[in-house]
Amino acid sequence: MKRLWYFIREAYTSLRTHRTSTLIGILTTAFTLISFGIFLLLYHNVHNLLGQVQHTIQIIVYPKNDIESGKLHDLQQGLKTDPAVDSLTFISKQDALTEFKEQFPEEVYLLEGLGESPFPASLILTMAAKTPTTDLIANLVNRLQHHPDIDRVRYNRDWIERLTLIITYMEFGALVVGSILALASVTIIAITVQLAFHTRQQEIEILRLIGATSLFISIPYLIEGAILGAAGAGIALGFLRGGFELFTHKTQGLSVFGGFSSALEFFPLPLSLILIAGGILLGCLGTLTTIYGSLRFRL
Amino acid sequence: MIQLFHVTKYYDGCLALSDISLRIEKGECVLLTGPSGAGKTTLLKLIFGAEHPDEGQILVQNRNIARLGGSDVPYHRRTMGYVLQDFKLLPQRTVSENVALPLIIRGLSSFESRRKVLEALRAVGMDHKLSTIASVLSAGEQQRVCIARAIVNSPIILLADEPTGNLDPQLTTEIASLFKAINTRGTTVMMATHNRQVVEQLNGRILRLDCGHLVSDQGVYR
Repeated sequence: MKRLWYFIREAYTSLRTHRTSTLIGILTTAFTLISFGIFLLLYHNVHNLLGQVQHTIQIIVYPKNDIESGKLHDLQQGLKTDPAVDSLTFISKQDALTEFKEQFPEEVYLLEGLGESPFPASLILTMAAKTPTTDLIANLVNRLQHHPDIDRVRYNRDWIERLTLIITYMEFGALVVGSILALASVTIIAITVQLAFHTRQQEIEILRLIGATSLFISIPYLIEGAILGAAGAGIALGFLRGGFELFTHKTQGLSVFGGFSSALEFFPLPLSLILIAGGILLGCLGTLTTIYGSLRFRL
Repeated sequence: MIQLFHVTKYYDGCLALSDISLRIEKGECVLLTGPSGAGKTTLLKLIFGAEHPDEGQILVQNRNIARLGGSDVPYHRRTMGYVLQDFKLLPQRTVSENVALPLIIRGLSSFESRRKVLEALRAVGMDHKLSTIASVLSAGEQQRVCIARAIVNSPIILLADEPTGNLDPQLTTEIASLFKAINTRGTTVMMATHNRQVVEQLNGRILRLDCGHLVSDQGVYR
């Protein structure tokens, strides 16, 4: 307990003593995380919107013409329980004929003399929101195509692949941008902690003299880095939230966004917490970068 | 307690200690004397684990310091106290905070820690200045606090490198008396000093070093 109190007090003392560098460290971390956060927010919302658009993607399944009603029922039940499928609509041959007649009343004469409905029965599948990656859809389509009771499957492959490609590019972009910004943040925090580290060389020397381990010496600096990271992340989140609210307020009703601004959402709580944890991690990494080399090889 | 076998140490190719062999028993008071650059500080550093010998072996309480890994060094240091000429106190901390540091490192409870700090400060006559900030203390007082910090863990060995180097004759006598008292209680004291007054007062075994060589080993100063 006394040790913990010592660690916290040391970290606090260092932050208070080096107010300017602490402030610079927090602000630069905040700036880095804001830049990353803007990108992440964009990615998050585009991903959401694409999920909503993908929700409208339909796969049309044509069962074999001579399928027994029992097998058709089993097929429908199997598809309803598939996690990739959101909803299923059965269009019987007669429904298809009725639909044709409603949509093309002037072409009805073409069907005269054909007897029963020439249209095949079909099952229209709507994909579950946020789930339809190309892999998932391709997997589902592949399974359906090899199903013994299914004649053929129709879906807009190009459209799905294009959407997935956009998401893949965005994920790659997030990774690259995030890595660059994270590296910048780690460097800045490392410099801030290094400053504190150098101004406290005498104290470190004394601690070594009386038998402190490298871990014992490092812990206050790790706490300091974590506080810097957490504070930076907190400021970044606040700034992003404010900016987001302002943006949605200003763009509400603007036709240029096609009504999408009302569908925009801020980071959910788990993602916000991950961002804070990311800030703390960056802070700790920055500290470790500084102290690792300084402490490891010294007696 | 402490044994050195043919210990040699170089700094950037320059000889600092040459083929030193000696044995120090528990409770001895050993005074390292000799001119500047004789190797007194190097010898203390080797025993303290701050340096590794280039040749030879050092046994401290049957533990081979020459083979000590980096992570074992702090634990070795906790078994001994080290007093330096330039005090090495945290200037913005109180006397009790400075003395309590080794106990915090060891993870002692607050109660136990307070008791030991008070005991150590009483031993050096500084218990009335518990809450005083270290930077406002006089040189003699600062050195007393350093000694208190060095003995607060009840070390078996107390090393001191010119502990009276910055003090006037009056304070030197006081500090030497403290070391004498600590040694009388059974702690092995090993002190590097130039000061004849300290050597006379402590009346211990004198090891004289010159250019890295042990030139004389007198049981008791006459």
